[in-house]
Amino acid sequence: MIELNKITKKFTLHNQGKTNILVFNNLNLKINPGEIVALTGPSGVGKSSILKMIYGNYVFQSGQIKINNHNIDHKYPRNIIELRKNIIGYVSQFLRVIPRVPTIEIVMEPLLETNSDQDEVLEKAEKILLKLNIDKNLWNLSPLTFSGGEQQRVNVARGLIRNYPCLLLDEPTASLDSVNKDIVLNLINEKKDSGSSIIGIFHDEYSRKYLNAREIDITKISDAK
Amino acid sequence: MQPILSVQNLNKYYGNQVGCKNMNLTLYPGEVVGVVGESGSGKTTFINSISGNLIPDSGKILIETGNETIDFLEISESLKRLLIRTELAFVHQNPRDGLRLDVSAGGNISERLMSIGQRNYGKIRQTIFKWLDKVEIDKSRVDDFPRTFSGGMLQRLQIAKNLVTSPKIIFMDEPTGGLDVSVQAKILDLLRKLVRELNLSVVIVSHDLAVIRLLADKIIVMKNGEAVESGLCDQVLDDPQHSYTQLLVSSVLQV
Repeated sequence: MIELNKITKKFTLHNQGKTNILVFNNLNLKINPGEIVALTGPSGVGKSSILKMIYGNYVFQSGQIKINNHNIDHKYPRNIIELRKNIIGYVSQFLRVIPRVPTIEIVMEPLLETNSDQDEVLEKAEKILLKLNIDKNLWNLSPLTFSGGEQQRVNVARGLIRNYPCLLLDEPTASLDSVNKDIVLNLINEKKDSGSSIIGIFHDEYSRKYLNAREIDITKISDAK
Repeated sequence: MQPILSVQNLNKYYGNQVGCKNMNLTLYPGEVVGVVGESGSGKTTFINSISGNLIPDSGKILIETGNETIDFLEISESLKRLLIRTELAFVHQNPRDGLRLDVSAGGNISERLMSIGQRNYGKIRQTIFKWLDKVEIDKSRVDDFPRTFSGGMLQRLQIAKNLVTSPKIIFMDEPTGGLDVSVQAKILDLLRKLVRELNLSVVIVSHDLAVIRLLADKIIVMKNGEAVESGLCDQVLDDPQHSYTQLLVSSVLQV
């Protein structure tokens, strides 16, 4: 379960005339287990900011964020690190990896945090890469030279290889063809059916309908202009 | 869980000149803390002051050894030296500062083993080969002198030399500093794997924010000898609160 209570979020740009940008004032949101929430609205309205606050990348000035009853509190970075290891998964829009590390190792990494059985983890990584149509010949190469769609699927594989109780998805299907899009959407639906609380940004209506997502129009709750 | 290293209110002056002041740091087992800032900000003074290379003027450095917490600044010189040889390790920016160039690669790796009392030649040799393999240096180079090694190999040898006794806390000062980018990537990959496999606890200094983002869990941003901001690594880099951190983050060239 993900809960945001009375969140205020603003940015202060110290080096650009101390500009203050208020993004949210009294934001409330709740995502239940087995539910998918899709954030909608034009870009710049604060969709990604919500995901980043939940994941701990962005601070907020007041209010409360609770993940399965654990508070996101930046005074205790250790707790956020633990939450990310066990409870919150995040599929970002872009792949950020060390150059020259093979795809298969990148996909295995999140599982190795909790499971030290190398063979078992390898098997799971191979399974999800096959499912996502990543050619076997590519597994031992770094994904940095892959096409946009392939990189995105590697990112999805890495993010979905584990069963996190809470899942954040930032346009996970943006650069995929229709066949691969359906595969990724099916994987997300599996996570929902297993009881994950899922919140995401999906720029096409097709994906939102496919996932049967509860849509929230951010323009109605955001103060960003 | 107890922090393995806790630095409290550490100060180091060079005469009237501030080296670093009011510095605090908490490091948990398996965690990597990055220290960033422009050159002259006090990063190296700080890491040297908490690792035994420099003597700070005041403050506490508490190290959890497993059965007790000791204050590194209060213990005897001999115990300090023992800790530096066994539980602590320091990886220098320039591997030539951390290696003996007129001793073979294997000899460099075995030094810490011998200093903790290992004498069985066969066993030591086995450990050396295990570590050469871990840092991807060919076994056939074991008896060669480091001066015949490339810069990247030297850095990997220095890492092996330091990690061979499974130290609890590893300090690194710009470990990828003088290396070309392809070698840098290889060292970063190696460090990340070792951190996970061996549950290493690391304090790493770098002026390269990209290196810190890939390695560190937490970050301390220094300016003029003081910490201006600290916290979760990607939060400080994605949503910096202090004007100096904002400047630092926005000054990075995008590739």
